[in-house]
Amino acid sequence: MATPITAGAVAGEYMETLVIVEWRVGVGDTVAEGDVLLTIETAKAAVDVEAPCAGVVSAILAKAESEVPAAAVLCLIGTDLSDVDYDGPKVAEPTAVKTPGTTLVAQPVASFAAPQSPPTASPSGRVIASPAARRLARSAQLDLRMVHASSPSGRIKLRDVTGAMQSAVAGSSGAPVIVPNESGPLKVHRSGAAHGAPIFMIHGFASDAQSWYPLDRQLAKDHPVYRLDLPNHGASPKRPVGDFANLVREVREAFDALDLDGAHVIGHSLGGALALALADTRPRKVASLTLLAPGGLGPRIHGDFIKGIAGASRPESLEAWLKVMVNDARMIDAPFVKAAFAARSQPELRAAQRHMGETLFADGTQSFDLVAALHRLICPTRLVWGRKDKVLDWRDALQAPGHVGLHLLPDVGHVPQLEAPDLCLAIITSLIKSI
Amino acid sequence: MTLMRYAEALNAALREEMQRDPSVFLFGEDVGRYGGVFKVSKGLRDEFGDARVRDTPISEQALTAMAVTAAMSGTKPVLEIMYADFLPLSLDALINQASVFSYLWEGQVDMPFVLRTQGGGGVGTGAQHAKSLDAMVCHIPGLKVVAPATPADAKGLLKSAIRDRQPVIFLEHKLLYNTRGEVPDGDDVLVPIGKAKVVVEGKHVSIFASSKMVIEAENAAKLLAEDGIEAEVIDLRTLRPLDLDAIRQSIAKTNHAVVVNEGWTFCGYASELSATIMEYCFDDLDAPVARVAMPDMAIPYSEPLEMAVLPNAVKIAAAARKALA
Repeated sequence: MATPITAGAVAGEYMETLVIVEWRVGVGDTVAEGDVLLTIETAKAAVDVEAPCAGVVSAILAKAESEVPAAAVLCLIGTDLSDVDYDGPKVAEPTAVKTPGTTLVAQPVASFAAPQSPPTASPSGRVIASPAARRLARSAQLDLRMVHASSPSGRIKLRDVTGAMQSAVAGSSGAPVIVPNESGPLKVHRSGAAHGAPIFMIHGFASDAQSWYPLDRQLAKDHPVYRLDLPNHGASPKRPVGDFANLVREVREAFDALDLDGAHVIGHSLGGALALALADTRPRKVASLTLLAPGGLGPRIHGDFIKGIAGASRPESLEAWLKVMVNDARMIDAPFVKAAFAARSQPELRAAQRHMGETLFADGTQSFDLVAALHRLICPTRLVWGRKDKVLDWRDALQAPGHVGLHLLPDVGHVPQLEAPDLCLAIITSLIKSI
Repeated sequence: MTLMRYAEALNAALREEMQRDPSVFLFGEDVGRYGGVFKVSKGLRDEFGDARVRDTPISEQALTAMAVTAAMSGTKPVLEIMYADFLPLSLDALINQASVFSYLWEGQVDMPFVLRTQGGGGVGTGAQHAKSLDAMVCHIPGLKVVAPATPADAKGLLKSAIRDRQPVIFLEHKLLYNTRGEVPDGDDVLVPIGKAKVVVEGKHVSIFASSKMVIEAENAAKLLAEDGIEAEVIDLRTLRPLDLDAIRQSIAKTNHAVVVNEGWTFCGYASELSATIMEYCFDDLDAPVARVAMPDMAIPYSEPLEMAVLPNAVKIAAAARKALA
């Protein structure tokens, strides 16, 4: 049995959020009743939260320096450390603790910096893994919290990491397909004018840099256009991505390598979430932001779509999922399907994307939360969303602060740049011209 | 190649080096007329005379100091200390003389002596005649320490030790003297000091051992093979200086290490190996380094009890299985 710890009355009834200043205990520490567990900041004061009972701290659910809802569960005190097993599924249990009238789990508001992906992991509970397993996971950018320890020691070993990397993704034939582990930088496609304000485009999940057509051709008339291929997509290396934070890091590295000044960043869907995270961490380098049906603004996502589109091994099954993406299914004609399938004909690519989808959207949930990042934005930003989006919920856009321009398009699905290309172009060019 | 016992191989090495270099001479308790209690110097007094093969009184402290001064005076003494258990009596000469004189006199003196001794249990010789004090001598910088497991290595390493300019502690094992093995023919077949040898190749776990424990490790590898575990057995041969390259290469391959030494566990040679592996191979390790060594206790005289406490193949195999679990 574990006791969920909240800030309780010390948070102050009128506070909506609090900031974790410092943890005084770690996972595995034995505490007595009255011991100080952590220091929080509410209003303008720092306050200590004390243990209401004796026991062992079995999980810490909110990171230091993160902002969490005032009622959030901050940590768990279990009576017995054996409650805590570092197997993925068992660590998931703390997230299921319910306290009446409180938020289930403390999700840091700026959680892309402290990713909660997958939700099965205890954020600061140290994963027990062998040095060799750690090294391999690091080079493969694999989140050890995703890895099951097969050893009776409870320690994640090399074989567990290689097993997770090779996580046999059954193809259509049922045969396992190995997820590759390629190294190297992400592919950036350069096109367009030699001079002018640069444009940096990040595509969505199971898409690639080619999908920006015809928008990129139009923009390229006046701008240098850089289109990124995400890992496991297009011409970029295929490798396990680890968590969302790692993916952000990869995108940022690719962006930094271009050394662009005042880039106009455009992202779609997952690429929208990444663009937002990029703008949040490189505010001086991003001149404007256009987010097309971006991820990261709410937990809801069409989980079957993610699995289906990444794993589709036949044109017919791909076609069915492509039609979910758009409002008017007639747009998905035979040539479109053929081209889309050709781009994803490699089984390794599909396996890698499926693994990536399972990693980023475990349990059919967007576990990275970028609402706070959206509020922090300082560059001019437009949020473009189709009201008939079946993959992500357009109502997530309503969380945007006042300085973000909203374009909520009627009769448009998840891909505004495909379904309303002229309007998207007009929105982007007017935004760029306004700066 | 000639099939020889370990003791015969040592005898051949002594004879060849004494023939080769007139400054080589032997001394120790019962090494002359009796030919040594383990017959290592058998026949040498007859061949080289009692000036070069000297019987001495029982005083390890005086004998070791004699070796130091004889080495400084231009000869190449080979001293036999009958039981390693009495190495502590030699320690002052080793720690305060042999290992530091070259340093104190800025390299103007060489210290070319060999201290041969034998240790180890398994024959009911009790708490004062069965110890393995490898760690005690390996602790001293300025000394080289070798512990061969086979007749070929015994011969080749003893010849290298006699020719070395530094003091070399030559550790034998009472249960190895009657083991047989092929020994290369030739007066100049040396085994280099500081080089380990892979005696069983494997890919799952590395077992590092020396002296008689190599035989136990090889038997452990056979036990493990029954479970499909391919153990690699590395005979360190030289305990100091350590062949770090060989250790790293093996662990890079297997990611698992079992370190074996017949001496005590606490502050023992196995502990030194474990620490070294942790420092240099940390990121290659997939499990904690497992030590298999003598428990921290006196060696029992009772044979069943002695067998129960000494490291052996079954314990090594169990440690390897646990590391791999």
